[in-house]
Amino acid sequence: MKHPGELDLALLAGGDVGRMRRFSLERHVRACVECENKVAQLQALRAEVANFELPELNWNQLATEMRANIHLGLEAGACVRAAHVARSWNPRLTLAFASLLVIVGANFLLRDSGPQLTSPARPALQSSAPVLESTGAGIELRNGSSSMMLLNHPGAVASQTVSAGGEIRARYVDGETGAVTINNVSLE
Amino acid sequence: MSLWNKIFRLPIAGVSTLAVMLLAALPLAAQDTVLDPASSVKIDLPADSPLTLISPPDLGESRATARGGTIVLDLHMKLTLRNGGFKHVRGVTLLITAQEFAPGGKGSVARPSIDVPPGQNFSVPVDIRLVRPVQQTGGPLVRVQLDGVLFDDLSFFGPNKLNSQRAMTFWEVEAQRDRAYFKQALQARGENGLRQEILASLARQADRPQLDVSVSRNGRAVGGVLPAAEHMAQFAFLNLPNTPVKPVEGWAAISGNEARSPRIEVINQSGKPVRYVEIGWLVKDKQGQEYAAGSVPASEPAMVLPAGRGASLLQDTALKFSRDGRPIEIESMTGFVSQVEFADGHVWVPSRQDLGSSPLLRILAPSPEEQRLADIYSKKGLAALTAELNRY
Repeated sequence: MKHPGELDLALLAGGDVGRMRRFSLERHVRACVECENKVAQLQALRAEVANFELPELNWNQLATEMRANIHLGLEAGACVRAAHVARSWNPRLTLAFASLLVIVGANFLLRDSGPQLTSPARPALQSSAPVLESTGAGIELRNGSSSMMLLNHPGAVASQTVSAGGEIRARYVDGETGAVTINNVSLE
Repeated sequence: MSLWNKIFRLPIAGVSTLAVMLLAALPLAAQDTVLDPASSVKIDLPADSPLTLISPPDLGESRATARGGTIVLDLHMKLTLRNGGFKHVRGVTLLITAQEFAPGGKGSVARPSIDVPPGQNFSVPVDIRLVRPVQQTGGPLVRVQLDGVLFDDLSFFGPNKLNSQRAMTFWEVEAQRDRAYFKQALQARGENGLRQEILASLARQADRPQLDVSVSRNGRAVGGVLPAAEHMAQFAFLNLPNTPVKPVEGWAAISGNEARSPRIEVINQSGKPVRYVEIGWLVKDKQGQEYAAGSVPASEPAMVLPAGRGASLLQDTALKFSRDGRPIEIESMTGFVSQVEFADGHVWVPSRQDLGSSPLLRILAPSPEEQRLADIYSKKGLAALTAELNRY
């Protein structure tokens, strides 16, 4: 005779199986004393668990102990980390990073200490043919690594117009005199 | 010695040495030099010029900076000129050349919309930045020449190498148109009417979207996208009433944010021969925003278009449009006649009514004179604007 599994019997004892499965399990249990006893034991155990009462616990003390353990863990971690850093300090590596910082600083000074370079800083955009370009700063004519830029008055908002004939104009009102200035750069 | 040190010992030494060398070279590399006006700038005014230079140019904060393999020159000049003629000066254009820095192009600085009586001084600012590889050079860095002076009777003096007579005449005619418009608003509707008009102008200037453009000849604008999606797009035309020249049809090759080789067919429907036509060019992006992209001028400087005849305006340039660093994808284009010059020297520009009854007033930049009048109102108030309009 093939007996049902423990899980099926436990489910049967708790009344947690479907109608068809329950019918077949009950038929087996009625004919099998061994399984009938198991189901009876499981039902008795369920009854005991249902009447089980938790012991009286001091929850505040439990929470305090947990916090203390967490702090202890954090302090231990900090000690381990400090020891690790101290061991890995390397004067050569520090010198290398300091040198790299100097190079980056030098690059920054070279690039930004004076007027902003446009053409040489953008070799990818350089063209063998002259190119005119308008920006907020003014109108630039680039030719290889050389360029000429007519600058807008600092702080002035210029309105720009372009001609398909190969020229760009930027117009702004001079803040000092109130007169209009028109810069024009054209391709030859 | 650990494996780490063995691996990195040489590069660390190299980087350190390089850093020390860079530090030593830093003062040399970024050396600033104050420019000497006498040797840096040459100013040429014709012997019979009605304008005279009052003093050598004040170079102010101008300086040369050598950096790496390049030299950067920032020139900030203020030229003070005197009207030594007998007529009021309405505009002046100076030709700026720096052949060592900008072969293949030239610049100019113009002062339109001025009214300088005989014997009075005025100034023209020239702010220019030049970049070139370091090399020995002789002679001046920048040459400033007088290209033309326009007087109040629209007569002209100068070599006119840049066709500045035409440009200044158009600016002056637009100035007369706009001064008359604001004067009429003052006379018909009083100070409140003038205030409303000038406030509307300031609002339009603030709202007008601005494009950045790059232009190159005979090919593709730098940075343009590949022509995979290039197609020929047709112009729509805005026909203004009373325009002496009518645009018939036109095309340009469009690829993303780039427009190339525009070609526009026009017919002279006036009774007079025409020697110059310019078509204004509007573009609309995929979001429906319309921009004043530029203009398509007559291809031949010496063009003569007889009455009733047609001509083609074509330019072999590539224009690339962007806004705030982002490409503007061109969806459609509109053209309109913006300037016509007749063979007898008279010029035509759209009237205020033409501009107001179309989207042009909103999209186009105001004339230099309207911009100047609006600036007077915003800085000095209505009384100063009224006084300025009553001056001439």
